Amino acid sequence: MLKLNDVNITFNKGTVNERKALCEMNLHINKGDFVTVIGSNGAGKSTLMNAVCGSYEVDSGHILLAGKDVTRLREHQRAKYIGRLFQDPLKGTAPNMTIEENLGLAYGRGKKRTLAFGISKRDINVFREKLASLGLGLEDRMKTPVGLLSGGQRQALTLMMATIVTPSLLLLDEHTAALDPKTAGKVLEITNRIVKENNITTLMITHNIQNALEYGNRTLVLSQGKLLMDIEGERRENMTTEDLMKLYADSTDDVMSDKMILKS
Amino acid sequence: MPFLFLFKKGIIMDKSKRINKNKVISFIPKLILVVVLLLIINLKLTQTQVYGALELGLIYSILALGIFISLRILDIPDLTVDGSFTLGVAVSVIFAYNGHPFIGIVAAIAAGAISGIVTGALQTKLNVQPILAGIITLTALYSINLHIMDGNPNISLWKKETIFTYFQGKLPEGVPYKIIVAAGILLIAVVFIYWFLNTQLGMAIRATGDNEYMVRASSINSDRMKIIGFAIANGFVALSGGVIAQYQSYGDANGGTGMLVAGAASIIIGEVFFGKHTIVSCILSSVVGAIAYRFILSFAISIGMEAMDFKLFSAIIVALAICVPTIKKMATRTYRRMKDKGGNASA
Ligand SMILES: Nc1ncnc2c1ncn2[C@@H]1O[C@H](COP(=O)(O)OP(=O)(O)O)[C@@H](O)[C@H]1O
Ligand SMILES: [Mg+2]
Repeated sequence: MLKLNDVNITFNKGTVNERKALCEMNLHINKGDFVTVIGSNGAGKSTLMNAVCGSYEVDSGHILLAGKDVTRLREHQRAKYIGRLFQDPLKGTAPNMTIEENLGLAYGRGKKRTLAFGISKRDINVFREKLASLGLGLEDRMKTPVGLLSGGQRQALTLMMATIVTPSLLLLDEHTAALDPKTAGKVLEITNRIVKENNITTLMITHNIQNALEYGNRTLVLSQGKLLMDIEGERRENMTTEDLMKLYADSTDDVMSDKMILKS
Repeated sequence: MPFLFLFKKGIIMDKSKRINKNKVISFIPKLILVVVLLLIINLKLTQTQVYGALELGLIYSILALGIFISLRILDIPDLTVDGSFTLGVAVSVIFAYNGHPFIGIVAAIAAGAISGIVTGALQTKLNVQPILAGIITLTALYSINLHIMDGNPNISLWKKETIFTYFQGKLPEGVPYKIIVAAGILLIAVVFIYWFLNTQLGMAIRATGDNEYMVRASSINSDRMKIIGFAIANGFVALSGGVIAQYQSYGDANGGTGMLVAGAASIIIGEVFFGKHTIVSCILSSVVGAIAYRFILSFAISIGMEAMDFKLFSAIIVALAICVPTIKKMATRTYRRMKDKGGNASA
């Protein structure tokens, strides 16, 4: 499904601030995989995602999505196949536009934007049904500007927008990190449900080790721009957060940062 | 006057949304403005002046709508405006001079749109800073406009047919044909803009000004949206210039100077009445603001302001409007400090 071949990204090349953010990264993710990604601050997790979705250009290497080389495609071209959530809830939605207008924009993913009306009656019924499934009461506020919603509501809406046209790949970059624990839990549950229901290939960065093992079927650990561990199957099923921490400490001098949470 | 009815409606709309103390307070300056405008119209201006202000206001509304697209929708102040307005003047005046006033208007729109595409391409394809991109196009247009006008800094349409004289001949004697023509063109422009902003493409352009990350993540080419936005914005601006030239039967190669600020001032005045919450309120703000602005200028002239001070006047309005939030903040801080002092003294 998603393949990275020897991908390199270096920031500020040739300056004192030179930083290798991704180092000969090789990765193969199968269709239907729900992969969680952990690693200390600055390990290159966000860079990995930005490389996949095209926000950062890779210096060398290739990225293949569903067998197609997307390395030189621009961000909006890749977005036809990729749904995406940012850590910052403000980034995923247009604040001065209404809920239905935001959903209308997302509903056109991969299609040409024409001079047809932005939102049809039929669309509105689809949106209402989808929003109702979130259980946040947003279906009754379709004409409300998104800027008036809370961070959690906005993130849930962004999730809806990213998946309303089922993407080939869903990228989640600590999408619950800016939310309070209760809301974060709820958004995570909704995420899990949508991913499972539509069998979406997903890459989810999290700073919560417990979540990383609890959700999905495979866990990647990144350190200093490299893939340190790739855990799946039976080994992953029997693994506790303590095991993972110990493994991590043994294989690198890097310490897990304070930001990492063992238990929620 | 028809727009006074709109003023009232705007106030009622605001009130019905939510009545609280802040709403009532913000309602007072609106009321004062309406009263002052009424006084100006009834006491100070002659009928000719009222008609003149209304005609100009209707035509400059189209300019304000164009600036609204770049300034408010795309959230980028576009300096191309001063040049594309004159471009509209130049193209329209040349076609009218050669006997094709209607083709002149259409060609003005097309020329304006092209200048917008140039600015948009500079910004998105070549990564030129937005303000600088506008200045570059504007500067190039100085020469281009003069070329279009065959090197003449001004051209008169004396005794030539214009869209206005055409309709004067078609309409019965005594009707205010200039107002009818101007209002007709404005109506088409307003309907177009309302329709366009609600299409898929229009929504994508609105979102581009609102949150570019989200737009790209929704598989929309934000660069292309900006270019289309600038094209439409400057098409409107040039239309306004083209109509003004035929309205005045005169084209001036320096006519566009200060148009961006004048348009922005109009929009800001309009927003006092209608706010900028929905597309409808934004369109009303641009149109009513542009008309109100012309009435204010007429009033200022009638009490002795000279035409050469117009630009100073609009610059002050825009500067003030931009400063209002800061001034408010300073006022609140001073007020709190004074209150604190008072509290300490009595304790
Ligand atoms: N746009 C950028 N410019 C320069 N350096 C960057 C940029 N983005 C990330 N980096 C650097 O690359 C490294 C990896 O960052 P990132 O992928 O954001 O880490 P994380 O795993 O915490 O998400 C960090 O050292 C960071 O400072
Ligand atoms: Mg990160």
